[in-house]
Amino acid sequence: MSLHNSPKGVLLIVGVTSLLVSVFLKKGERIKGAAFLVGWLVPGAGHFLIGQWKKGLFFLLILGATYLFGMWIAGFRPVSFDDNPFYYVGQYGSGMTFLVATLRGDEKAVVRDGIHPSWFDPGLLYVCVVGLLNLVVMLSLLDAKAVSSETAAAPAPPPAPAAGPAPAATPLPEKTA
Amino acid sequence: MNGISYLVLFFPIVLVILFVLEACRSDDPKKIVKRALANLGVLTAVLVLGGAFVYVINRWF
Repeated sequence: MSLHNSPKGVLLIVGVTSLLVSVFLKKGERIKGAAFLVGWLVPGAGHFLIGQWKKGLFFLLILGATYLFGMWIAGFRPVSFDDNPFYYVGQYGSGMTFLVATLRGDEKAVVRDGIHPSWFDPGLLYVCVVGLLNLVVMLSLLDAKAVSSETAAAPAPPPAPAAGPAPAATPLPEKTA
Repeated sequence: MNGISYLVLFFPIVLVILFVLEACRSDDPKKIVKRALANLGVLTAVLVLGGAFVYVINRWF
């Protein structure tokens, strides 16, 4: 079974990995398994899920822009297996790029009109790098702290130092004449 | 655009890679930008020096 025509195999690998992440993490961190899966589907979405929405938005924008730029160079055709098998497999790192590559994978990419042919290979590289960087972003989820659980598990502030016991007022012995 | 204009594409892709890698290990935006730009400088220097070395080797040897 070759990798380039087995989308079910890729989906199986991603699903099993997410399940394993959920099982082997601590009870409070099991949401990271779902975040792992969602982060594969859409770059940055895993960070949204654990509450780090600024970081998730950053990853979504920067990886999305890179992908669109690479696709623009390659005439809005993803990397096909015939173009470059290594770049093609690199697209499997993200569900979005994987979906586009699966749907249009047989169409050979061509360099856009008005662009020098030497830009073609870097354009394919841009598309591939998005998938590979998304794998790094997914792995960073395992190290990230979920905002919701962080606030819930925040240690209680230390109790204010109690004032020392007031010295008991001992009645002075009455002087006797 | 001439045949080596694709070298311009080196800067955006390296910046993207460095920004993403730094964002994965840090939460401070200033630190992310500072480290990414510093590493871009180092990688560009390596590229330029390597290119110069290859040019010299091919030109005179």
